[in-house]
Amino acid sequence: MSGAADFKTQFDAIVKLALGELQGDEALSLTFDAERSAFMRFNNCKVRQTGFVDQAYVGMKFFRGAKTYRLQVGLSGDQAADAATVADAISRARVASALLPDDPYQVRPTSADTSDASYSGKLLADDAIPQKVLGPAAGLDFTGIYSQGTICRGAANSAGARHWFSTDTFLVDYSAWLPNGRAVKSSYAGRDFVDADYAARLSATRMALENLHKPEVALKPGAYRAFVTADALNELITFFSWNGLGERGLRQGESAYLALKEGRESMSPLFSLTQDFTLGVEPAFNGEGELAADTLELIKGGKLANTLVSSRSAKQYGIASNAATAWEGVRSPAIGSGALPEADALKALGTGVYVSNFHYLNWSDTASARVTGMTRFSCLWVENGQVVGPIKDMRWDESLYAMLGSKLEAVTKERHLIVESATYEARQVGGCLLPGLLVNGLTFTL
Amino acid sequence: MRHDLKRLLDAAAAAVPGAEWLGLRRRRGVQRLYMARDGVLEQAVETDDQGVMLEAFFQGQFGYAATQDLSPEGIARAASRALTAAKAAAGKGVHAFSLDVRPATKLVWETPRARLSAPAADAVFGFLSGACTALKVGDKIIQTAAMVESGTYEYDIVSTNGADISQTLHYLGTSMQAIARDGAIVQRRSAFGPRGLTRQGGWELLDTSALLDKATSVGEEAVELVSAENCPSDTRTLVLMPDQMMLQIHESVGHPLEVDRMLGDERNFAGFTFVKLADVGSFQYGSELMNISYDPTVRGELASYGADEIGNLARKEFLIKDGVLVKALGSLESQARSGVPGVANQRASDWNRPPIDRMANLNLEPGSSSFKDIIAGVQKGVLMRTNRSWSIDDYRNKFQFGCEYGTLIENGKLTRTVRDPNYRGVSSSFWRNLSAVGDASTFEFFGTPNCGKGEPNQVIFVGHASPVCAFNDVEVFGGAK
Repeated sequence: MSGAADFKTQFDAIVKLALGELQGDEALSLTFDAERSAFMRFNNCKVRQTGFVDQAYVGMKFFRGAKTYRLQVGLSGDQAADAATVADAISRARVASALLPDDPYQVRPTSADTSDASYSGKLLADDAIPQKVLGPAAGLDFTGIYSQGTICRGAANSAGARHWFSTDTFLVDYSAWLPNGRAVKSSYAGRDFVDADYAARLSATRMALENLHKPEVALKPGAYRAFVTADALNELITFFSWNGLGERGLRQGESAYLALKEGRESMSPLFSLTQDFTLGVEPAFNGEGELAADTLELIKGGKLANTLVSSRSAKQYGIASNAATAWEGVRSPAIGSGALPEADALKALGTGVYVSNFHYLNWSDTASARVTGMTRFSCLWVENGQVVGPIKDMRWDESLYAMLGSKLEAVTKERHLIVESATYEARQVGGCLLPGLLVNGLTFTL
Repeated sequence: MRHDLKRLLDAAAAAVPGAEWLGLRRRRGVQRLYMARDGVLEQAVETDDQGVMLEAFFQGQFGYAATQDLSPEGIARAASRALTAAKAAAGKGVHAFSLDVRPATKLVWETPRARLSAPAADAVFGFLSGACTALKVGDKIIQTAAMVESGTYEYDIVSTNGADISQTLHYLGTSMQAIARDGAIVQRRSAFGPRGLTRQGGWELLDTSALLDKATSVGEEAVELVSAENCPSDTRTLVLMPDQMMLQIHESVGHPLEVDRMLGDERNFAGFTFVKLADVGSFQYGSELMNISYDPTVRGELASYGADEIGNLARKEFLIKDGVLVKALGSLESQARSGVPGVANQRASDWNRPPIDRMANLNLEPGSSSFKDIIAGVQKGVLMRTNRSWSIDDYRNKFQFGCEYGTLIENGKLTRTVRDPNYRGVSSSFWRNLSAVGDASTFEFFGTPNCGKGEPNQVIFVGHASPVCAFNDVEVFGGAK
């Protein structure tokens, strides 16, 4: 396998084979996830680990009567061997499903949507990666990971749906460190690696490090004005998915937004959240082969506008699906822009904390939508709009009904596209469009 | 039948005669998972995947290529790419390694199992349905869920310097939870946390009678919590049960002791550590009651194994003895880079990720106090069970953890149940306030199948065992906006 075209050929062959194996009233939804990736992990501007990963998986949701059985199998790239693997999997599903109880909320595939989007890029030659990535960072204590390659997603079903998405991307996800233990976190991502653009990003990093030479400021616990950058907000965005805005979680008590749904709480009129596939960073189809609308308003003017409804929840609760994924998380989230020019952020902050990054967030009290986390990297103490110096990292604990509600003072006019960097099991696609937020009284606790 | 890895290694060696060494690590994972919600079987899933990571060594540098193509031609292509990676990075690496970090270990290891055959499928579904029924103790329960997962991982290593390792890990896990609601109060209670009851072994671990009893108590405690008072906010003695101690050990001992963190590898993602290389051998990590072992030999604990994934043989070793840090979680590679003593802990999440420093089974050894004596010795305290929230800074110091269920301790007695119990502290001072360690009768072990770390990211199985413990002067607090 060498690239998107080969993976597409593999996908088409698997779909044809799998659908051709169905018998009687059987039905199938099928997903395909593949990548051809290069990774180089680095520390102190030196290579820690480096190599290549080729992988492809097919996921199948097999329907026979009112029974449903799911499988995921790895693919070798050899057409005959993979055909046998998929056929064997279907055989196992046929046997296993016969033993299952009926699923009253089963939704057999009906969508016949189709889509096809492919984005090619100019990536680094395999043997040039260390020099191209580390060379321009010489002199920095430069730590992180470089990844690049082709990522593919496909979906199909026995009702006729066919979807394909492929993209060539790269990401330098890095931090640059000073001997005093302070660091600037940044990244350079895209489809075409341009040496000059990368050099400019590193130049900005070098400039940002200057603020971190200043003496560290230790804050006492208490509430502080805070400007939360888009990078920091990115750590919070998962909290609209995890115990978030999924219909099932709201119905069954797992969601943190029950009070929002029931009108007991609200967020600021300045706050809005939309699922927005026009960002172009991930496909709008789900594992059932259903295609979501380009945009879906979730929170509008601080009020709940829509929830994320999968076809299963739609059947279970008798409502309309909006083609959410099975776990009903937000894809391609975009937080609405405001009126505060980013250039005026420090001035608007006045005296308080400029939060460059958050770290290790978790629900501290889900029912109250309260989240705890840390500040990290180059968070700064600001007085009268002027940077005084980096803060000693602080723990915070705040309800989102306060941070994004009663305490939300302004939202920046500018928004930043932040691409997904996660590589658990596979290089993930996706990203989000985020502004900065001015919060009047973020509660620091430790 | 496992592939003939030596034949594949020969194919790789023939393809890249310029490589100074080649290693081939194959892994296959087969899992099944069944989950019911409110008595309805919602998920029946199986996964099956295998692949190989080819490692090539050239002028002190390793390069890798991972593939699912296990044909000789596919392995030869992977070897060529691995050598390309190694050559491109040669002279630019963090360390010029020798092949001492890839020992020529020969080993066959397998999880001991008492019952190898799975029960009939309808018996598993019957258990899940029964668990949901048992969890649903009243109208205030708005959701019940139960899950059974089982699986087998095969790990094989062969190398051109003679390593020949074959390991097979079998596991089974059960999860059960109930969510109760009364007005605006919503509470979740589970059996030892999500996936906490994941252990190595066979189907003997599915003890349905005991699990159904536990399900009833989980449901009852969920209902109890919605009418319980909020946890007080003050400073008092904290008693942690083993199903919260596993998280406390994991976050504030395990991760800080990983040598790759000390070396800075994780600074960009999972973070640094407050522990320095120079601390190993002398740092007073906790009170004299604190004895932490790295022990991949515990039968049934989730991260038991015979050798790590670079072939280093595993054995029980103390990391903290009488409160003093004596050894850290550093693999052969980290030991070569740092010069500090370590253990056999270079592990990978799968065939497609390179092994890095990880925890395995990291345990707090039993002490001498009975549970009754621990409680009797507390005038003002709170006992907490079962983790539900976890957060810690990137130096592994300032933490905040939350639990599902709390009980006040007043004048040496357990008194009232409290909801939303949380506590926060700083690792290095918290462990020095360890004031009592339970005896063997309070000792339990649990699994943490979802430990995340590394770039590219990896999730891996770890295990933790602990007795009941008490800590003095801890800041505790409750929930609410």
